[in-house]
Amino acid sequence: MSELKEQLKSQIIEQLNLEDLTPADIKNDSFLFGDEGLGLDSIDALEFIVLLDSFYGIKIEDPAAAREIFHSVDSMAAFIESKK
Amino acid sequence: MYYIHKIVSITHQDSFIQKDVNDSLVEIAEDTVLISPDYKKYVLPASLRRLSPILRMAVAAAKECQEAITIPFEAISVGTALGCLTDTEKFLNVINTVEGDILSPTAFIQSTHNTIAGLISLELKNHSYNMTHTQNNLSLEMALIDSMLCCDEGKDFVLLGVADEAIDFLNKLKSIVLPENSIVTSGTTFFVLSKKKSKSEIGFLACRSIIKAKEIEMEIDLFLQELKIESKEIDRIYTNQNSLDFPKEMVVNYEAYSGLYFTSNAFGVHMANDWLIKEAKKYALIVNSGCNNSLGLILLKNDKAQN
Amino acid sequence: MDIFITGYGVISAIGKNVEENFSSLTQERTAIKQGLKSYTSKFKVGEIGLSNDALKAEFDLKTDGSRTALLGMVAAKEAFKNHSHFDALRTGLISGTSVGGMDISEVEYRKQMAGEEPNFKQYFHHPSGTTSEQIAAELGITGFVNTISTACSSAANAIMMGARLIRSGQLDRVVVGGTDSLTQFTIFGFRSLMIFDDEWCKPFDNSRKGLNLGEGAGYIVLESQKSIKTTGKIALAKLSGWSNASDAYHQTASSPDGDGAILSMKQALKQAGLEPHEINYVNAHGTATPNNDLSESKAFINVFNGKVPPFSSTKSYTGHTLAASGGIESVFAILSIQNNILFPNLNHTTPIEETGLIPIKNIQKNTEVTHVLSNSFGFGGNNSTLIFSKI
Repeated sequence: MSELKEQLKSQIIEQLNLEDLTPADIKNDSFLFGDEGLGLDSIDALEFIVLLDSFYGIKIEDPAAAREIFHSVDSMAAFIESKK
Repeated sequence: MYYIHKIVSITHQDSFIQKDVNDSLVEIAEDTVLISPDYKKYVLPASLRRLSPILRMAVAAAKECQEAITIPFEAISVGTALGCLTDTEKFLNVINTVEGDILSPTAFIQSTHNTIAGLISLELKNHSYNMTHTQNNLSLEMALIDSMLCCDEGKDFVLLGVADEAIDFLNKLKSIVLPENSIVTSGTTFFVLSKKKSKSEIGFLACRSIIKAKEIEMEIDLFLQELKIESKEIDRIYTNQNSLDFPKEMVVNYEAYSGLYFTSNAFGVHMANDWLIKEAKKYALIVNSGCNNSLGLILLKNDKAQN
Repeated sequence: MDIFITGYGVISAIGKNVEENFSSLTQERTAIKQGLKSYTSKFKVGEIGLSNDALKAEFDLKTDGSRTALLGMVAAKEAFKNHSHFDALRTGLISGTSVGGMDISEVEYRKQMAGEEPNFKQYFHHPSGTTSEQIAAELGITGFVNTISTACSSAANAIMMGARLIRSGQLDRVVVGGTDSLTQFTIFGFRSLMIFDDEWCKPFDNSRKGLNLGEGAGYIVLESQKSIKTTGKIALAKLSGWSNASDAYHQTASSPDGDGAILSMKQALKQAGLEPHEINYVNAHGTATPNNDLSESKAFINVFNGKVPPFSSTKSYTGHTLAASGGIESVFAILSIQNNILFPNLNHTTPIEETGLIPIKNIQKNTEVTHVLSNSFGFGGNNSTLIFSKI
């Protein structure tokens, strides 16, 4: 699971163009969205949906419902594991 | 008169925040690159990461303009000939390479022409009138005419700007849709306009756009006649044409310094503005001629200059 | 100075001209259906069932151009029909588009990506400005030509700029509106935003899922009183108010409380010298996205002090025609005034929970319509409002 999380962090940085960040800068349980977190927004939520599809073959139809999944790296990893 | 309170350009010249933009001009060469400021000073990382070159340079220039005045702009008028090409090309690549229905949206969102003006309003938290004009090489003229209307309608300070970016792909279009020996470049110029007098007392006196021009010199004559100005009163002409029928020493080809982008006459205005200040001259005419016979004429006046 | 409308033209999925569009509206007949092109077949769209060649032939178009330009020529020609050129009249054309010649460019680009030889000359049609020049050329307009590109508010902004140029004395007469064709670029673009409805869109309904895209063009001719003295045209209506304001909230989403929309509607009313209660019909932006319809509804409640006039979104007929929507819907607003008719909002069952607003459900004939307010809101929070009035 921790390997998945490290991999996810690299993929997030790549997909969202977070050019100044390294995986070490993203904590597993940090909020990803909003001002307290990485400052991601609704466009990034859509990019996460693309990430899940292109890297993990998981399709999400409803972007609104997906917010819960994209809460943190922890929640994303848990979701990916659950789909295996 | 529509006074210029500030001009900011980011181009392939060392033009950003210079006292006189003419001081460090070098003729454009094939290996030219855009000379950019440190964009981190102008945009937060969370927003900057997404921004293509055209968006970065336009926001930085706009923010420098906002710093020059103490109140929010009451209108924002932007011109761009070809819009956000980097993101347009990116999204074309996405739709032609990705299988399936799930596509990355960021490039699409940022491909629309009005992303430039929209992003500026977002970054400046500005709720006022916001317009994007795209009329090929007359895009500055259109955005300027709109800005003048805004000033006439009682708006105190208006942000006027243009931006266009080069992508490699444009080189494929040379001698087919673009002039053969051109050096394709990027650039942006933003102005703070107001009917209130500026420190320099230089401003736009008039602007005309002509879709199907007759002979350029004839159109210039008509333009000046209507303003009751004689052509011998013009101190300098900035143009993208090499063969204007005016004394050589009077004419500067701005495209030799801006390179080719369709709103580069704005850099010509910047050059003209700084020259009028330095030489204390009265009139500079910017003559922008397009390959389809379109013509833009902009007259700058220096209220401080004696005849 | 009064700004008069002396011509209108429209082509959309619901009709090739004003008469056909009016007929579809009054018969409550949508034209949104499963797309026929390879890239529209998975979606419900408002497609115009005429190929480019068919458009050229049926409407006798002499100027070449992209589909966006051709659609624009059809509608602008209808608006300008029976208008003549006069040396003394300064006539211009201002057109809004978001797509420009992309319908041609994307074909050439695809060829290149597939390793085929593209025809680079075709990129001549790409720029939005060229689209307007081609439409102007078809109409014989050689004076002032401009193009506005502010996404879905483009045509409304073009109309606004035309009115301001007339009022300032720089033009006497101007053809204004907008055009956009369906393209793979926009279809896939909106798909990537996940704001389509797989079924027929439900503007202002609580269960709305998203929009259906459409294509089309709509133009009106604006004239000053002085110009009418020369042209002798009969005015169909007046353009009495206009405004544009920015949300400055987000790159794509509208502010939840509709700040930009509130500003644009209030300012347009003020400019028209009208009180909110004097508006008889609102042609809403109403794209049927969860975000827009809630935001716009809240703005209605604010601007109209809770007493929201009859309103509907005609996008449930035509689809969302992007830059053309403000032009097409201006024609619909004028039709409403001329015929004292209110057009219904199709596919509505349940009002939005937060607001409880109910749009017009059935066609309302013989309703005195004096003032119509029309909204067009573009991506990036570009909010425009136009107000049309009976002469």
